[in-house]
Amino acid sequence: MNPMSTTLADGFWHWLWFGSPAKSSSAVARIGDELFMYIFWLSVAWFVFLMGLTFYFVVKYQRRPGKKLTRSPAHHTALEIAWTVVPTLFLVYIFFKGFWGYADAIVAPANAEVINLKAQKWAWRMTYPNGAESPESMRFVYTDSQGNQVTSAQEAPIFVVPAGKPVQLRMSSMDVIHSFWVPDFRSKFDIFPNRYTSYWFQADEPGDHVVYCAEYCGDLHSEMYAIIRVLPEPEYRAKINSWAIPWGDGLAAVGKVLYTTKGCSACHSVDGSRNTGPTWKGIWGKEHEMEGGGKAVVDPNYIRESILVPGAKIVKGYPNQMVSYQGQLNDRELDALIAYIESLGDNPPAPGAGYGESAESN
Amino acid sequence: MTTLHGDIPGAHGSHGGHDHHDGGYLDRKGGMVSTIIDWATTIDHKKIGVMYLVAVLTMFFIGGIAAMLIRYELFQPVRIQTVGEMAGKATGTDLATLFGQKDMSVAQADNIYNRVMTLHGAVMVFMFIVPGIPASLGNFLLPLMLGAKDVAFPRLNLASWYVYVFGSIFGILAIVMGGVDTGWTFYTPYSSSHADPGHWRVVFMILAAFILGFSSIFTGLNFIVTVHKLRAPGLGWFDLPLFVWAMYSTSIIQVLATPVIGITLLLLVFERLFHVGIFDPALGGDPVLFQHFFWFYSHPVVYVMILPGMGIISECIAVHSRKQIFGYKAIAFSSLSIAAISFLVWGHHLFTSEGELAATIFSALTFLVAIPTAVKVFNWIGTLYKGSIQINTPMLYTLFFLFTFSIGGLTGLPLGALATDLHLHDSYFVVAHFHYVMMGGTVIAFLAGIHHWWPKMFGRMYNERWSMFACVLVFIGFNLTFFTQFFLGTRGMPRRYASYPDEFQTLHQISSIGAAILLIGFLVHLAVLVGSLFAGKKAPANPWGGLTFEWEADSPPTTHNFHHEPIAKHGPYAFDDVVPPHCDPKDYPLADPLPPGTKAH
Repeated sequence: MNPMSTTLADGFWHWLWFGSPAKSSSAVARIGDELFMYIFWLSVAWFVFLMGLTFYFVVKYQRRPGKKLTRSPAHHTALEIAWTVVPTLFLVYIFFKGFWGYADAIVAPANAEVINLKAQKWAWRMTYPNGAESPESMRFVYTDSQGNQVTSAQEAPIFVVPAGKPVQLRMSSMDVIHSFWVPDFRSKFDIFPNRYTSYWFQADEPGDHVVYCAEYCGDLHSEMYAIIRVLPEPEYRAKINSWAIPWGDGLAAVGKVLYTTKGCSACHSVDGSRNTGPTWKGIWGKEHEMEGGGKAVVDPNYIRESILVPGAKIVKGYPNQMVSYQGQLNDRELDALIAYIESLGDNPPAPGAGYGESAESN
Repeated sequence: MTTLHGDIPGAHGSHGGHDHHDGGYLDRKGGMVSTIIDWATTIDHKKIGVMYLVAVLTMFFIGGIAAMLIRYELFQPVRIQTVGEMAGKATGTDLATLFGQKDMSVAQADNIYNRVMTLHGAVMVFMFIVPGIPASLGNFLLPLMLGAKDVAFPRLNLASWYVYVFGSIFGILAIVMGGVDTGWTFYTPYSSSHADPGHWRVVFMILAAFILGFSSIFTGLNFIVTVHKLRAPGLGWFDLPLFVWAMYSTSIIQVLATPVIGITLLLLVFERLFHVGIFDPALGGDPVLFQHFFWFYSHPVVYVMILPGMGIISECIAVHSRKQIFGYKAIAFSSLSIAAISFLVWGHHLFTSEGELAATIFSALTFLVAIPTAVKVFNWIGTLYKGSIQINTPMLYTLFFLFTFSIGGLTGLPLGALATDLHLHDSYFVVAHFHYVMMGGTVIAFLAGIHHWWPKMFGRMYNERWSMFACVLVFIGFNLTFFTQFFLGTRGMPRRYASYPDEFQTLHQISSIGAAILLIGFLVHLAVLVGSLFAGKKAPANPWGGLTFEWEADSPPTTHNFHHEPIAKHGPYAFDDVVPPHCDPKDYPLADPLPPGTKAH
């Protein structure tokens, strides 16, 4: 690294503009920061020179009553050529610096870990090479001016990535145009509904980085966050392996993984403890009292309805809070969750057995 | 100097429709009703210019209210309460609360913000800044500066005003019907298939932009022909005031680029209404195609916005420094070359969506357009050298322009460079940059122009002290509002967000306070200018000692502009050798006469 770059991309002025050092690989983000700081100081020099000259002229050549005008040349060819050519040289230099940095930022290394990224109004989804998806999410927590604890409006999914290894995102959109921007990585690229675009980065230190949607996409555009969580590579591997769906191990095993990855575990326990929603332990085949009177038996159709149309029947004493999973789960995954809940019942079926005689639907 | 067709029929004095009245053009001819009819049917370019001025400033006011609402909402971020009885309730949705909407979800509240943000952009771009200077000051001044009695096609000129009003009514209708949340750029497929499905208001807003385009084309066509055919005897191309050169370059862009946006917007309407697949992939189209079409118009139009402002600055800096423009031809040709290159740089709006080759080419071309712009700034500063500089409101605004426009230009560099743009694209850095160019450039130049020509237009002087005070308020407010946004952008704040993480709040609050100061500055200006109409001193014909033709006319000009057909005997900026018309030589001493045998520069 040459001495100029170490001064330009660090220190007070860099902090003033960027707040924090670039968190992406030195090859990409650092070039951008150095170029920015170079342009900044060049601009400051030009600006101070031009404004200083203007100020000097305005003061020196103030109009004084009765004073005759002074003749001066109406143009000066050498001067005019100079002030056309000199800025042009600076611009050529800036263009090439910009081009080189761009080439590094756009072309992903061949050994990159390829992860699929889907954007939709107003959420992000990553699918890892082993088919797993991240079940983790978080909200930003703040203290407001009255000292109350408040949060950001939407859950931001947490995407884990390996540290010290190039990561390439293969991005596409389900609906409108979005744009994937990680300010810490100093790069963004748009995401389209009819083609794949690419984004790559290499984060060397473990830590969290905020993802923003940078292309206006409607109502919750302003809340379309995600978190990139950089983990040491072994931890990263262990995480995505634990999220992988074990289709070969039977439906109940798949359901057990979906229980965490699809977010069911946030509200439903499997050990009998009370949470926002009823526990799944031992509910299979039981009859429950419903809000607003009536009873219902927990059978496959009841579970299916509770997942897809959660507000249709609410167990007495619980709030109507669950969001519909219509479109989020396919039929195979529904079967798996039903099999998992059945396996948590008082008389679990032998692995590989069918649903048995389902209780009569109310 | 060349003498050109001073006696073409129709060029000077045979617009049969006029009544031959030789009083000021503002003189009332009868009661209220007949005055209104007189204005509504006028083909006098001065009245049309004033009607345009009122119309575009009204739109500036509406767009400005939207801007204040944006800054109000962004004073604090949207949050969800997590404890107590109010758990789950959204806070910081100030805009929704202002509209009387309580207990809305964040999505509903953000939706209101998105509509106000779109309203601000669409009104400011399509209804204020594109027609702004050319249609108001341009209409008023272009024939006067050429020594003509009117534009070449006076009826087309009136038609353009009505088309403008008709288009604006469509836009207002879209707002009254509930507003549009597409952003002023109407990016597909959001605008074509997702925004307010089934609602007509989106179509109305698109049609508003479509119709407004025709008023631009009418004005542009009119100006091109007027400059070619109606110059006074002796007024050669290089004797034209630089404001006329700027208008001419602007008009060329308007006539060439506007049809492209017209067709694009019609295609968008077809896709929305009849599901013809052009831009939406779900129907077989391509969304990036829209971006190319859109910016093929909208980038050249950036220069439709700024070139007239540059023209005003050239006039103001010459007159108030009593100095010939340094490098007149360089400024004139830079206007033309900016107009030409402006058609080749649209792809820099797509650096994060187009391919690598296109991005590289467009980056190089973008730097090319920076050169003539920089040359203009150097020439203006060169004009001050050895001048006789008078500081008054128009000159203060001219210096203000040099300050803010330079910042606007320089901050374009990291956006034109590819490596830095990947970070800054669609961030607040872009928002700050184009406000420094559009507002710090065009609007500030517009204010310089309004104050420079106000005495000519309305025959009244305004209170110089108060308007300079307002200018200082605007300067402070403007820089507080927008300089903070550069830091927001580099630190990671995306544009078009109704909320943000806490780390951005201080900068947002400074920005909002700046906006309030800016508003106060504008209101003081309004009060001073309107006040001058009632209580201002009567303006002399040539209050600043200008040499261009408009200063030979009365203040306000007579219906037919000049008592005698003016003849060009000197260049537009020959302050050294010519006593300005209607002026006392004692007030405007000349330079020492040149020794015999030498030539003026």
